[in-house]
Amino acid sequence: MTTLLEVTGLTKQYAEKIVVDGIDFTLEENTSTALIGPNGAGKTTTLSMLTGLLKPTSGSVKMQKGEVRANIGFLPQYPQFHPWLSAIEFTEMAAKLNGVSAKNAKKDAQKTLEFVGLGNDLNKKIATFSGGMKQRLGISQAIVHKPKLLLLDEPVSALDPVGRREVLDLLKGLQQETTILYSTHILNDAEEMTDQLLFLRDGKLVEQGTLLEVRQRFDELHYVVEFSSEEEAKHFTDQYELKGKIKGCFVYIEIIDEKPSMQQLLRYLSNAPYKIRKVERQTASLEEIFMKVAKRI
Amino acid sequence: MRGFNVLLQKEFREAWRSRKFLWIPLVFALLGMSDPLTNYYMMDILNAVGNVPAGFEMLLPELMPVDLLQASIGQFQTIGLLVIMAAFAGAISKERANGMATLLYVRPISFAAYFLSKFTVLSVIGLVSITAGFTGSVYYTVILYGSFDVATLLASFCTYYVWLLFVLAVTLLMSAAFKTTIATAFTFIVIFVGQIIDALVGSFWTISPWKMPAYGVQLIRGTMEISDYWWSMLLTVVILLTCNVLGIWAMKKNAAMTKI
Repeated sequence: MTTLLEVTGLTKQYAEKIVVDGIDFTLEENTSTALIGPNGAGKTTTLSMLTGLLKPTSGSVKMQKGEVRANIGFLPQYPQFHPWLSAIEFTEMAAKLNGVSAKNAKKDAQKTLEFVGLGNDLNKKIATFSGGMKQRLGISQAIVHKPKLLLLDEPVSALDPVGRREVLDLLKGLQQETTILYSTHILNDAEEMTDQLLFLRDGKLVEQGTLLEVRQRFDELHYVVEFSSEEEAKHFTDQYELKGKIKGCFVYIEIIDEKPSMQQLLRYLSNAPYKIRKVERQTASLEEIFMKVAKRI
Repeated sequence: MRGFNVLLQKEFREAWRSRKFLWIPLVFALLGMSDPLTNYYMMDILNAVGNVPAGFEMLLPELMPVDLLQASIGQFQTIGLLVIMAAFAGAISKERANGMATLLYVRPISFAAYFLSKFTVLSVIGLVSITAGFTGSVYYTVILYGSFDVATLLASFCTYYVWLLFVLAVTLLMSAAFKTTIATAFTFIVIFVGQIIDALVGSFWTISPWKMPAYGVQLIRGTMEISDYWWSMLLTVVILLTCNVLGIWAMKKNAAMTKI
């Protein structure tokens, strides 16, 4: 993989308050990275510094090929447009300002608007757009010039479930063509379309890695066996060498070094006279990991 | 000046679609027409209003065309400037406050291009407005009172336009430097307090941008030391350009204030 963006010691300080505290990370080409953290963790400030809107107190943002501002597309959490412009006029203007020739700008704008599902609303004034349409227009203005890096601040948090699904599908479609860095606190979304996770807390980057790596660090793997009654669950833990924690009809069996294996467990269970409702291997959700990271001192 | 043409097009569209090209010139046209008409028909107006005692007579001064133009410029100087400043004090600060500037500032544009595109459009609106105002005033003055010398009238018009460009540059600088309410207040202070100071103690100096509107009228009257006029013109242009440079700097410096 080729590194696209290298962030070193990025810091933002206002008077005594350090909002972002010396964070380092790299973004590889054509990957998707989620910037996660509780409110006030410094996600938006980090994105603002990457876009060049905010000057860092110290640290650097380097793009391997070319200037950062010329190679990014940015979508703020609540994008505000010039309401008297139509969708095509705004997207065309965005393309031209990013250096697309006047000859191609209109064509590209039309194509991009069709891609985001606004093909029938090209000439409608933005003032008449719904929240979901504005978000799609926001994506269109961010990608019309084919940026190397797409920065998205909470791209779906303001949308209803239908709008959220539409925008997520759009972003998944873009993953193959461009590098995406997006902030979110909707962890299901991060789980759905993320190659790398960056956990911010109090301005510090406290965890980073692929979803698998982070899971391995924080997960307490276990099997969950659901018995038909609490008595059966108790009986199982008393009789068999596989000890587990009982919670009602459920028995949680910890997996250490991949032992016991699922085959071993099923062998035990098939030999026992129990009515088993369910057996599954459970891993911590990103939300559980998030809570652990957020609460860790 | 990267992006100037595109931003200029955007600013023109905004001004056109928000009807600034229509209503601001209309205000100036009405202001321009009002003095020649009301002065000429003063007696008729008083009679029509009623309550005038029988046999009442009022001796109205005999007005020259230049007096009417001076009165019209007086209207532009108060209501006209108030409208201009109120309409444009948020030109930059409002876009920053509501987040509309964000999607432009993140692009590889030059702040000089953005500032000057706004200044250009404001200048054109200003030009159309005072053209409408002068036309309204001169048209009725010529019909009702008498004609002007075209050359000096044009010189007076150009002088007032330079003054208006100065007002626009100050307005835009304040908008780039401060939030809308503060920008509006500071613009009013600089322009109106400047005028009041010049009116009260301006006899102690002869070179000042705030004297430009008066010098415009004096050009027609022919009662002016021409060197004072040119020095004032030069000073006005220098300050105007300085305001533009400072405005570009302030716009860039305050880019981080844009709402995300």
